[in-house]
Amino acid sequence: MTRLDRAADSAPDPYRTPHSNTVRRRFPRLTGLALLGLGMLLTGCSTHHLWLFHPKGPIAATELRMMAIDVAIMLGIIIPTGLMVVWFLWRYRASTGKGRFDPNWSHSTVIEIVVWGIPLIVVGVLGYYSYKGVYEVNPYDPTVLSRRSSNPLEVDVIATDWQWLFVYPKQHIAAVDELVVPAHTEIQFHLTSASVLNSFFIPELVGQIYVMPGMPTEQAMLASDPGIYHGFSAALSGPGFSWMQFQTRAIPRKEFIHWVAQMQHGPRRLTYAAFNELAKPTINVHHTPQYYSHVQPSLFDHVMQEVRMGKVFATPMAMTAHM
Amino acid sequence: MLVHLQGPWTPLIGRLTLNQVPYDNPVIVGAFLFAALAAIALAGGVTYTGKWGYLWREWLTTVDHKKIGIMYIIVGLVMLFRGFIDAVLIRTQQVMAVGAHSAGHLGALHGFMPPYHFDQVYSAHGAIMLLFAVTPILVGMMNIIVPLQIGARDMAYPYLNAVGLWLTTVGAGLIMLSLFVGDFSHAGWVGLTPLTELPYSPGVGVDYWIWSIQISSVGTTLGAINLIATIVKMRAPGMTWLRLPVFTWTSMATNIIGLTAFPVLAATLALLTFDRYLGTHFFTAGMGGNLMLYTDLFWVWGHPEVYFLVLPAFGILSEIIPTFSEKPLFGYTAMVLASLAIAGVSWMVWLHHFFTMGAGPLVNAYFSIATMLVGIPTGVKVFNWAFTMYRARMRFDTPMLWAVGALFLLLIGGLTGMMLAVPAIDFQVHNSVFVIAHFHSMVLLIAFAIMGAISYWFPKVFGFRLDERLGKRVFWYWVAASIMVFVPMYILGFMGMTRRLDYISHPAWLPLIIAEEVGIGLYWIALYYQAKQIYVSIRDRRKYRVSIDPWRTTRSLEWMTHSPVPFYNFAVTPVIHERDEWAWRKEQGLTSLRPERYQDIHMPKNTPVPFILGALSLAFGFGMVWRIWWLSAFSLAAIVSALILRSFDTDTDYVIPAADVERMERRGSVVAVAQDAGRNSGSGHASGSRFRATEQEGQ
Amino acid sequence: MGLARTKTADLASEVLWDDGHHPSDAVSSGTTLLWDSAPHQHDAISTRTFGFWLYMLSDAMILAALFTAYAVLSHSYAGGPTAADIIHPRFAFRETLLIFSSVLALGLSMSALKQGNRIGVVSGIVTAFVIGAVFLVMEFHEFAGLISHGITPERSGFLSAYYAMVLVHSLHLVFGLLWMGVMLAQIMREGFTDNVVYRLLNLKIFWQFQAVIWVCVFTFIYL
Repeated sequence: MTRLDRAADSAPDPYRTPHSNTVRRRFPRLTGLALLGLGMLLTGCSTHHLWLFHPKGPIAATELRMMAIDVAIMLGIIIPTGLMVVWFLWRYRASTGKGRFDPNWSHSTVIEIVVWGIPLIVVGVLGYYSYKGVYEVNPYDPTVLSRRSSNPLEVDVIATDWQWLFVYPKQHIAAVDELVVPAHTEIQFHLTSASVLNSFFIPELVGQIYVMPGMPTEQAMLASDPGIYHGFSAALSGPGFSWMQFQTRAIPRKEFIHWVAQMQHGPRRLTYAAFNELAKPTINVHHTPQYYSHVQPSLFDHVMQEVRMGKVFATPMAMTAHM
Repeated sequence: MLVHLQGPWTPLIGRLTLNQVPYDNPVIVGAFLFAALAAIALAGGVTYTGKWGYLWREWLTTVDHKKIGIMYIIVGLVMLFRGFIDAVLIRTQQVMAVGAHSAGHLGALHGFMPPYHFDQVYSAHGAIMLLFAVTPILVGMMNIIVPLQIGARDMAYPYLNAVGLWLTTVGAGLIMLSLFVGDFSHAGWVGLTPLTELPYSPGVGVDYWIWSIQISSVGTTLGAINLIATIVKMRAPGMTWLRLPVFTWTSMATNIIGLTAFPVLAATLALLTFDRYLGTHFFTAGMGGNLMLYTDLFWVWGHPEVYFLVLPAFGILSEIIPTFSEKPLFGYTAMVLASLAIAGVSWMVWLHHFFTMGAGPLVNAYFSIATMLVGIPTGVKVFNWAFTMYRARMRFDTPMLWAVGALFLLLIGGLTGMMLAVPAIDFQVHNSVFVIAHFHSMVLLIAFAIMGAISYWFPKVFGFRLDERLGKRVFWYWVAASIMVFVPMYILGFMGMTRRLDYISHPAWLPLIIAEEVGIGLYWIALYYQAKQIYVSIRDRRKYRVSIDPWRTTRSLEWMTHSPVPFYNFAVTPVIHERDEWAWRKEQGLTSLRPERYQDIHMPKNTPVPFILGALSLAFGFGMVWRIWWLSAFSLAAIVSALILRSFDTDTDYVIPAADVERMERRGSVVAVAQDAGRNSGSGHASGSRFRATEQEGQ
Repeated sequence: MGLARTKTADLASEVLWDDGHHPSDAVSSGTTLLWDSAPHQHDAISTRTFGFWLYMLSDAMILAALFTAYAVLSHSYAGGPTAADIIHPRFAFRETLLIFSSVLALGLSMSALKQGNRIGVVSGIVTAFVIGAVFLVMEFHEFAGLISHGITPERSGFLSAYYAMVLVHSLHLVFGLLWMGVMLAQIMREGFTDNVVYRLLNLKIFWQFQAVIWVCVFTFIYL
């Protein structure tokens, strides 16, 4: 079990953990500059890092398709408009423009109708697609997930300051800062937060949903390719926000069953008391995962209930004073 | 009833302790030294030239709408610079903090700013740029131009106008103070709850954020009342509603938004204040509070606020483009309708700022389509500007360059805005730097319009124009810089980069982040040429001196008086016959500014009360931030007393006799402000006033 | 100095305006009225009153936001006292009657203003003031009772909203009473000048607005 960088009360500044000063390679500056040029070229050529353009699940794919439709329609109007402006600028320039100067021309009913009409039509079409898209990727019941009939895997997500706890309530296991899911299987998330608002986001698999203290949200997801995907919080939640990431491992179903069995024999139990320890403001600088077996039943509801009754995990002043 | 605080508190100085002054942070100490040196240089300069009295009499106590407008703009520009420095820090931190192996300096694990400090920098950047840079600049412009465009002598309530200015200045001052004493909010400019609640923001940062915005928003609301009343009540004879210049119309629409939206912000911040100061449960997660209530209320203000900013920018474009197209604006009525429509729709779209909240599909669909509706009037505006250029005779002076640049930014911002309006897309790019790039496209549009407006109206206000060659250079550097910063930012958004990252764990993003830093360098060059332009233009102001109509093809009323504008605006109130009265008069050959006879002019007297109210508000705000109750109570009592005492002052106006007006107009030496009613303005000639109309009209 | 500048500027204006028009004696040519030379008075009272209506609108927006908050939180008892536990409609009804009579007194005072009846105006304001003050005392008595039972604003979201609503109304009341005091002094000092008259008119608007707030508070919260 790797250790977790924790900002306990005794160690107010979690950034200067001995861990962080271990290995530090430094590129010579000039090489860096040369690499920069190369890197910029490479980014220009390869789209590998454009997560949004490489969806690995039906929801993200639908979201990308919506984007393509939207951009195509908008470009269909914006490019001609831009070209028209450029043409006017060129043709009617005072210096040597060839256009006829008509100083009093300022009204044309036909053009007025057209300029109100075009945006109206565009908004109508886009509105239709938007309306459709809202249902297709509705976090509570996305219509693009065709396998609704099959039994989805339930995962309870609890955001703390500043880690992610993934509880598999039926399997009674939990993992911190690592989400393991079977590929080709629908996952049903229930999300809440123990402290502040976060946004749960795995760009290649599924769009965002807020994770809020004291109230639940839901999200559904399916990974169509096994692989490792980045997940993180996309809503500012305080000093540890930049480190609030987790790895999503989508693995074949058989492997997943094996993983669950292995996890269930793990040594650490997760009671509400243990959760309270876990939920203390902590920055997991190295995104080191932790695993729990024997999770207390309905931990999710318990956490939510406590928050509703006023439980807070306050940020100690020391974490802010000189940070 | 008062809440439990982390850290010490004493009745005398509240939460203030010596180590609240971050003297050990070189970044802040550097900023402090810079600010201190600038202040010393300024104070020294004023002392050396013996201008304290002049400054007090002519500026700090003035009620002249043009001077108040200029001071608004100066405050805005100073804060714009501060906001820019924040942007530089943000970009530099991100360049330095990429990858697990990036070095850390000054106590940070990566880069040179620890997260809590970095969070304050971008929170300040956002709050400053929107509320203390762009807002004051636009309010200042409306202040200067609207009364001129409707042929009024001043605003409806000149005294209130000055109060608004000083309250805004105090808000800006409090933010600046937070840099050196204590800290600023770390919760983003929107102040997300429950992050802004006391347990998660135990310091004074959020309190600074609350009070600076609260105080200045009172100023903005007062300003909105004033401008609406001015437009409704102070129009010159013949200035019917459909003859109002479009800038005045957009100002009207904007201030209707300001009047109705800013109170919502005030109420929201007040509730948050109760949470933080009294321990109530409005926006807490527990004990029956509702944190999304904050988000809703905030954006009920926040979205209209966006249009509060963009509408005057649209108005500016609608003034500049016809002037340099030498044609009337195409589709005037449509433009007016579109402005009002934008203002109206702005109230129905706030939820699109948090589609990802998990609302039901119908709610999201409604707000998605409502948001798209904004695209209709906006699209109409774009087309109308384009058709204003059709069959035009276009000149590309600096203001026109900025206007055209703004037009293209609007196209880009419109494209990406329409993407964000679709929830299914928003789920992927919400809170990403794609959103940042989108709204910077829009805010840059506003900035471009502002830059255009400054070069457009500068000669009218100061009597000399800004250097054209340098102005164009500034423009091209801005364009290059904006491309370098925001195109990579859009791409980073597609890569999944979130906003507000103190540390970036994906080295693949580095090249684009470096490109953004290069763009920041280009902004620096633009800033250099901007400073040079102002310096050169002031130095050679005689060479750049202009007559009443420097651009020749202007159309509206503000050009129908001297440059610089005399303190009474128009010697005699003009009678309006046409929509573009000045263009019409030029066509008819009626360009003389000499009326048949002059008449007495009633003018409001200068008063120190608004300045004093401002100073007391600063003390009040500071006391509240640090919970020094006696200071706040004392200041509040003093504010109320000052208001009451002022209401007993009946000697608030004076009259300039017609003969004096005539003499001033003939002599052409019109002084900015006549000091008091006892002396007439002819003898109250303050030497060194920059407001001196220099040209003699007519003969 | 001034002269030299004038000449340069003259030249400049000639150059700039060289488009065939000569701005010589165009004013007197034809019948077009270009400048409004008639001495005209701005209606100061109506301008001021208009601005005050605008202010009232902004105040109404504050209250709209607060009522929204109250509506959202009105059942967030968090296990604490409910609305039924703390609200006594009958007591509030008595308070409502007080508010109405105070508004009535100020209204009578304003009719006296139309006749220029100084004694009528002053006595009307004094009556409105006294009734308003009695209302305030009652309200603080009510609050003191609640707080002594531990029913404080920090107990629950509902109580926070309840106290905020009622206190914001009280704040208007305090402000109005202060205003009345100032007006009494100004009437004594200056009589019915323009300034005093428009302030009295605005005071009337404000006092009625305050009553409207109370009606809303009474209907939404107490009924």
